[in-house]
Amino acid sequence: MRHMKKIFSIAIIGLVFLTSCQKLDIKPPNVLSDDQIFANSAGIDAYLAQVYRKLPIEDFTYRPAGRDGNGFNIHHEWEHFYHAGGACGEMVGPYGGMDIGGGFGYWPYADIRDVNYFMETLPKYARNFAGNTVNELIGEAHFLRAFYYFALAKRYGGIPIIRNVQNYPQLSIEELRVPRNKEEDVWNFIGDDLDSAYNGMPETSVSGRANKYVAAALKSRAMVYAGSIAKYGSVNFVDGDARAQGFVGIAADKAAGFYQKAVDAAKLLDGHYTLYRKNANKLTNYTDLFLDVTSPENILTRDFYAGEPERMHSWDATMSPNSGMNYMTGDGLSRCYPTLETVERFGVLDVTNPDGTPRRYNSLADLWQGQNLEPRMLATVYFPGESLRGKLFDIRRGIYPTFSGTAAAEVVKTTRTFLPSGDHTTTYPGDASLVIIGNAGMYPSSGSDDNTRTGFYVRKYINYKETDIKKIGLFSSTTHWIELRYAEVLLNRAEADIETNQLDDALLCLNDIRDRAGAPALTLADMTPDVVRNERCKELAFENHYWWDIKRWRIADALLNNARFKALMPYFIYDEKKYIFLKEPESFQRNYNFDKKFYYEPIPGGELSKNPNLYPNNPNY
Amino acid sequence: MKLQITTIFLGVSMLIAGGSCIKKDNYPGPNASLEGSFFLDGTSSKTTVQTCTGNFSVRLEQLNWSSTPTPQDIPAKYDGTYQNTELFSGHYRVSLKGGAFWPVAPTEIDINKGAKLDFQLTPYLLLSNFTATMVDSTTLSLQFNMEAPIDGGIPTIIEMQPYVNTTRIVGPGASIFDFSDANKKPINKEWADMTAGDKAPEIIVKNLIRGRTFYVRVGVRFNNDDKSSNLSEVIKIDVPK
Repeated sequence: MRHMKKIFSIAIIGLVFLTSCQKLDIKPPNVLSDDQIFANSAGIDAYLAQVYRKLPIEDFTYRPAGRDGNGFNIHHEWEHFYHAGGACGEMVGPYGGMDIGGGFGYWPYADIRDVNYFMETLPKYARNFAGNTVNELIGEAHFLRAFYYFALAKRYGGIPIIRNVQNYPQLSIEELRVPRNKEEDVWNFIGDDLDSAYNGMPETSVSGRANKYVAAALKSRAMVYAGSIAKYGSVNFVDGDARAQGFVGIAADKAAGFYQKAVDAAKLLDGHYTLYRKNANKLTNYTDLFLDVTSPENILTRDFYAGEPERMHSWDATMSPNSGMNYMTGDGLSRCYPTLETVERFGVLDVTNPDGTPRRYNSLADLWQGQNLEPRMLATVYFPGESLRGKLFDIRRGIYPTFSGTAAAEVVKTTRTFLPSGDHTTTYPGDASLVIIGNAGMYPSSGSDDNTRTGFYVRKYINYKETDIKKIGLFSSTTHWIELRYAEVLLNRAEADIETNQLDDALLCLNDIRDRAGAPALTLADMTPDVVRNERCKELAFENHYWWDIKRWRIADALLNNARFKALMPYFIYDEKKYIFLKEPESFQRNYNFDKKFYYEPIPGGELSKNPNLYPNNPNY
Repeated sequence: MKLQITTIFLGVSMLIAGGSCIKKDNYPGPNASLEGSFFLDGTSSKTTVQTCTGNFSVRLEQLNWSSTPTPQDIPAKYDGTYQNTELFSGHYRVSLKGGAFWPVAPTEIDINKGAKLDFQLTPYLLLSNFTATMVDSTTLSLQFNMEAPIDGGIPTIIEMQPYVNTTRIVGPGASIFDFSDANKKPINKEWADMTAGDKAPEIIVKNLIRGRTFYVRVGVRFNNDDKSSNLSEVIKIDVPK
């Protein structure tokens, strides 16, 4: 018995000693540690994947006024007709007016912190990576950080530049309340980050990730923004404390320097990317440029894909007519339509006879068929009478039993004699084969906006190769978004060239673009800011550039001065059996008015209350 | 029974314990107010600085609360007054935001119940001698003169336009587009470059609807920070049947 007691005591003591070796501070098994993340390239890929996913790319799903406080990468966003172009006259859409002027309070400092953390931590694990990998990854991080700051600077002007990871409580609250930097300093910071990215990164990358030329391309965009803000923001501005202290606005004499940086950055891409020219048919070629994932013009894309996990969008289902009867799409509905003003950037559509009467057409297609219109225009916008998935863009605003007089006199009449219809079943009295508004035509002003209000539909990025209408539903599109393409780089370069009087180089760039587009070549005499701007608006239509461009050129307040936009309304004249087209206000007649204060968005109110050092807020808020 | 008493006791003590955590909010409610009028400088006339709702506003910043307070704006009403009866008492900075008149320096005042603050304003331009004449059954001719109380430094004049509405509340943001904005006339001139003819213009409004009553005024718009307008008085027009 005594023996047993002894053994028992020894066992207890042994147990106590043994457990004392157990560390209580164990790592949670469900959280990846730095040791694991920075151990190999798989860990790095996983880390950067979430940074790329959150990157402020204004793709199909971007919603400029936000939804539930978010505008980028919103979960389950399908309403792609909430498009920035639809609030500023590039298109008309569901926005009631200048609903996007104040933004949605974008403030991605948590995401920037992730990038800063990456930059600080990776060098500690440099031994895990061979060759130049660490430098290349640090370069990529500089690119990612610049991308975030670009999205901030174009919205707010000067914002705090945070280069390092901030920690609490190591830093006091007062230290964490970082004041705003001057706008000029922020643009220079973006330029410097992109230089570091260019110098560090390799020449090629996998789809969806950056390489050194992606950084150069973004730099050409950012620097041409900064140049125009310096030049035009010094003439047209709103005064206030933030401007007096340099938080918004850049001195005019800095413009040339920024423009030159844009030219220099753009030239770095020479010989590495080319415009898409795979198909000899210029119309097909321009259409396919947005669908061909192997295009040599693509610089940075965001991919959409089926599978698990899936990331798909709804561009096809929300830009073409469904007409409530699964007409061209199997689901969804459209609500955003190119304006006549946008279409006529390509050239005025001549639909009137010399005597002022509307020209008569045998069919809708006669408007554009054999008219020698620019292929790029037809590839950008669907005209009445074109087809998609075997269905006709069968668009009528109504039917005139008979028509006489001039177009100008007709559109100002207070009572018109055409027959409208609010559905796609009502036929013309006595003619059961003739649906009054057609299968894709417009509803009366008081009706729904689910079909075109302008006569046009968007064609860019529409996947015509999918011919099964049933497959065109919400979250069924996998067309990639091209965030940066070579045509934009050429346009950045041409614009900066013209602003710095390097006209020969500008001509080269613009004629490259116009040749691919099927437009006649320009001459040196054409090299003016207005010409390059118009070219940009055409080439980059509906790609979420227009809103930012008219802002940085500081022309938005003049363009959107209580403005209304026009449509090209097709009508059928029953007794003549002919079509006419009238240029008149789009059917909802919405007003768009840009307040000058919208050249900058307000610093988000929640951030101002957390950090009083962000004051003064931008002028007039 | 014993169990019930225990339960009741436990419940009551939980309530007391919970209640003791509640801090009494002893801040006063919004019991102060501020109102006032906008007068043409040196006069007691409100009509000539009249502006439409929302065209400019009185900005309040409560300085005793924070050195960087969130501003609150009281819009000017169409009759040339403003009022807010739900303010917190305190020390405020009061300034004017927007409007086509010469800047007024901000003032700091204590706002309590019934506080009043009037503003004396000098518009960039006075639109005087405003007449509205029917030249035929549906066409209206509007004539007026522009006068500058202070000559130099007026912002660029970008355009002028009529404002036509069916109520007495008429002006920017409260007018019928087809009669008003559709008749906008670009000017884009400095005041110094305006000829005598430019300063005494005529605006024609066509195709008015027969048998209706409209309220009409004209406005001249400047390229200042908020692109605001000086406005004329309002005239009532009965279009004959």
